[in-house]
Order: sequence, then C-alpha cells, then structure tokens
Amino acid sequence: MRANFPVRLGPAEDALIAQLKAAGADAAAERITVAGLPTRRVESYHYTDLKTLLRAIPPLATAANEASAPALRIPGAFNLMIANGAIQNAATAPAGVIVGRAEGGVLTTRDDVLVHINGALAKEALTLTLENSVDPVIQVERRIEGEAAHVADALKIFVADDASATIVETFSGSDAAHVGNHATYLSAGKNAVVTHITIDLSARAVSHFATNEYQLADGAKLRTLVIHAGAGLARTHVFPRMAGAGAHADLTGLNLVADGQHADITMETLHAVPHTSSQPLFKSIVRGRAKAVVQGKLVVARDAQKTDAKFMHQGLMLSDEAEILSKPELEIYADDVVCGHGSTCGMIDEDSLFYLMSRGIPKPEAETMLVRGFIAELLDPIEDEELNEALQGIVDGWLMSGK
Amino acid sequence: MTTPVLEIRNLHARIDEREILKGVNLIIPPGEVHAIMGRNGSGKSTLSYVLAGKEDYEVTEGEILLNGENILEMEPDERAAAGLFLAFQYPIEIPGVATMTFLKAALNAQRKARGEEELKTPDFMRLVKEAGSQLNIDNDMLKRPLNVGFSGGEKKRAEIMQMALLKPSLAVLDETDSGLDIDALQVVSKGVNALRDGQRSMLVITHYQRLLNHIVPDVVHVFSDGKIVESGDKDLALKLEAKGYASYGGEAA
Repeated sequence: MRANFPVRLGPAEDALIAQLKAAGADAAAERITVAGLPTRRVESYHYTDLKTLLRAIPPLATAANEASAPALRIPGAFNLMIANGAIQNAATAPAGVIVGRAEGGVLTTRDDVLVHINGALAKEALTLTLENSVDPVIQVERRIEGEAAHVADALKIFVADDASATIVETFSGSDAAHVGNHATYLSAGKNAVVTHITIDLSARAVSHFATNEYQLADGAKLRTLVIHAGAGLARTHVFPRMAGAGAHADLTGLNLVADGQHADITMETLHAVPHTSSQPLFKSIVRGRAKAVVQGKLVVARDAQKTDAKFMHQGLMLSDEAEILSKPELEIYADDVVCGHGSTCGMIDEDSLFYLMSRGIPKPEAETMLVRGFIAELLDPIEDEELNEALQGIVDGWLMSGK
Repeated sequence: MTTPVLEIRNLHARIDEREILKGVNLIIPPGEVHAIMGRNGSGKSTLSYVLAGKEDYEVTEGEILLNGENILEMEPDERAAAGLFLAFQYPIEIPGVATMTFLKAALNAQRKARGEEELKTPDFMRLVKEAGSQLNIDNDMLKRPLNVGFSGGEKKRAEIMQMALLKPSLAVLDETDSGLDIDALQVVSKGVNALRDGQRSMLVITHYQRLLNHIVPDVVHVFSDGKIVESGDKDLALKLEAKGYASYGGEAA
C-alpha cells in the first residue's frame, strides 16, 4: 500500500486555483488542489509534464487596448477576432454565415485539466453558423495582447447539412509570457465538407493550449490541420467523434520546433458508429535542442464495425539534440475493423541530399527542398491557392529562420 | 595541346578503411566518349561517386581535373556548376518534390553559380518541352514527384533529360543500361547520342558490351581491382564480351 502524500503545489497551481475560485469554479479548483497539474505520471501528459513546463500563470486578461500586426493574412478571407477573450465586432458576414455569441464552455466534459480550465474561465463563446456552403475562407484570429495574461476563449461552429466551408484559426499577439487556453467545437452536418486549420504563431514566451473537438454526422468529410510554429510550449488536442455512418476525417498536423521549444499534438478519435473512417497523419520537424510530441489514440466503440483508421506520425530531426516522441494507442472494442498505426523518425536522407546537390543545387537549398517535400503531403490537399500559399509561407519562414 | 575535359591522376580513394580506387589514371579529351568496363565490385561505381563528390568516400591521393581545374575540394553542387554530370545507376526518389520544380531549381542554381541570369518561366518551359519530347517525357510525368513511382526506363530517361537540360561538359553515365529493356535502351541511347556534339565528353560505365553497340565509344578501358588495367578501341569491348574478365586476375564479385 502506498502512502498518500498531499501534492506539493507550485506558484502556477496556486494562481490557477485562485483564478478558478474567483470564477466560481470550485470543482475545477478542487481538482487542482488535490492532484496538482499533471506530471509525467499521468498517461496523457507523459511527454508534456505541465507541472514542470508551466512555471507561472499570469493574471486573467483584461480588455485589449493595443493590437499587434496580424500574424497571417489570407487574401479574400472573412475575418473575425477574439482578443484577450473578448469577441470583437466583425464586418458584414458573407451570405449564409450567422455570427453570434453564446455562453462559454463549448467542450464536452472530459477528464483533462486544460478542458476543465477552459470550461471554467471562458465566459463567452463566438458562434458561427454556416447555413450553406461558404466560398471565402473564414479566418478567426485569436489574439492575446498587452502584458502577460491568462486567456480562455471559445468558439463554436455549426456547419449545416451538405454545406462546405474552410475555417482557419490563427493564434498570435504580443511578445509577453501569455498562457492561452483556447477551445473550438465544430459540428459538421450530414454530408458537410469542412476544412479546419489552426495555426499557432504566438511569440516564444507564450504557452499555447488549444482543444479542438469535432462531431461528424452521416457522410461528413472533415480535414483538419494543426500547425505549431510559434509558442515556446504548445499543446493542441484534437478530439473528433465520428458519429455518423460514412463520416471520414483526415486529421493532420505539423510540429515545427526549434531550440528550447516543446510542441505536442494529442489526438483522440472516437469511432462511435459503424462505417466511419479516419486518416490521422502528423509530422514533426525539430532542430536544435527541442522536443516534439504526437500522441494518437484511436478508440473504436463496440458496435462501430467496419471502422477504417490508421494513425501515422513521421519525424524529421535536423539536429543531434532533437527529440521526437510518438505514442500511438489503439483501443478497439469492435471485432470487424481495419485499424493500424505507424511511426517513423529520421534525419535528412544523405543520398537524397547528394542527388539534389549533384544537379547543382547548393546544400541549404537542397535541404529546404527535402523538408518541403516531407511536408507536401500535409499542404497539397489544401486546395484554396491563396491559403495554400499562406501556409507554405509559414513553413518557409520557419525554415529560413534557422538558416 | 587542348586541355582535356577530364584528367584523373593517380587517384586513390577509400570508404571506411577499405581502399577501393588504387591509382586511377585517365585522360578524356574534348568530344570523346570513353567506356569503362569491369566486373561487379571492381570499383567502377565508386569512381563515378568520387568524381561527383559523394561524402562517404575519402580521397587519399591523386587529383581530378575538370577542364584543367582541380575539383577535389569542391562540393557536389560546385562540381555540377563546373560542368560535371552524373547519371545515376539508381536515381533517387524524392517524395513531395515535383520533377518540374526540381529541374527549375537545378537549372537556375547552376546558372546562378556561373553568374548567369535565372531563366524566365516561359523560357524554362520551352527548354523542358524540347528536351522532354525527344525522350518521350510528357507533362504528366514532370508533374509527378521526382522519380517516385517511375519505372526503370522512366528513371533513366529522366536522367538523360536532366543531362540535356544541364548541358555538362562531362557526363558520367553509371550503368545507364541496367534495368532497361531493349526499347528503353534505344530511347536512352538515342538521347545520349544526341548530346554528342564534338565538345562534350562522356564516361560510360558498364559491365555489358550491349550498351556500347548503341553508344559507340572512342576508347574502352578495362577496370579491375581499383584501377585501369588495359585500354583500347571499341573492339576491346567485343574481346571482353567473348573472353570475360578472368584474364585480368582478381576475384569475381
């Protein structure tokens, strides 16, 4: 029998508990008081030990008085903004797009500290109802401006049956040591076709946390892409629920990590009904002494026969100190499914590099070509040309910053 | 006397601790096609990699002069810009990089290294179309990732197309006939012969005489145990075909 020592709480936990109590979230405060922030002993945080990595929680955000430059401009996009947790007024929405507000707490309850905190602290949610197919890209900018602040914000998106849309969320703001805790809930109706991209472009001092929850009805097709290219500490949850027959999700993500950074994509897909499929494909590129994590769990419910799902994580290490951690998990209760997982990790292939150089391409350029080639699988399916270019620009910017 | 396109003097090279090239001497004057024949494991392919500057090999002695310039200290890309081209025995597959993108990058990188202006896209497209049509390479193939899923013949044709675009002063063809059926061999040989212009030199590495019926060499060298052991005209290849390499000693690989 093990003695049950009380958990020693640090300043980050003390601040969190105070903020949660002030918000009237006693249950969430109590959980942290009892258990503390998750350490490596908590399976889902095994590679992202929040107790060690998150040393301070800044005060809760007040209204933003200043604004940094947009981190990413997508030509022709319809723009919405949440700054320091407050929803900003938007321009006239395109036809079929209804912009509204609702109470916070958009995520389904689950045993996860970041989900609890968001639910307790996000007061208001931006809601987007897409009644029909929307041509322009919808961009939701989520900013944290001014002095270091703790922000919890929320977005809820409904895509109607048969509608199609592309929604891009960008996370950015001032250079201070913010802690952002962002939630997005997206429901795709029957036969809806949705692309949802979240891009962290925060400053290095920022700790960025995001939870993306999805609900897919019959025949819905979802493509997601998480890009971590900013914060010093980043973790994005991808929680899809395949809830209608014929639903399919391409769940993709990219950790771009350099010296001192830690980026984590944690996916848990629930195949809840028969005849659904998902194709999770994640890539991590690490240079310097830095760490990238991808956890991918496929859960297949007992009667979710004919589920077809394969998780894949590929890592590319550009330095000897790079660390790439990969954890696939399968939890399958049905007996007639095709599920699998794979993981690869390596350096730039010397033979490929020699081949390109032997044609006159200098080494730095050849390396860039190979890295772009490595990522192509993730960006090529993004058909909107301007969006695709904007994404390629982020990758190129990251590559150039290391030359 | 004109400067040879390639001059190799007493070249020794090793990989790890094993010496593979043991004193290669070779002179190729402008416009000549030389063939190197030898059994597997004699060091022929090593010679091609050492010429192109592959890192795995260490040159311990000797010199390689390309148009009179010592290239041993050059990186592979610098050697390419100086006029060297290696057609690979096994061209590397590069996923995610469209063949067209690669061709443009290579061509412009070499132009830049030589202080020439980058090609404008329409000019580049015209060059590619010309080079492609002679080798039955269509636009669809150029849109595909470099060498990925190409058949053996497609890979070799793509190599020759790169050579046609990059216009090297010395082309090294490493076992270009391997993996080719007779039709593909004819297309590839035709492509190579079209690039014989009296100035460009070639070093054709092969262990079958078959290729040399299509690409007729000026000089044939026999390679054994890391060096050239005999040189002669094209009839030497026929003699080798009849008698094998046994008389040159060494062990069969």
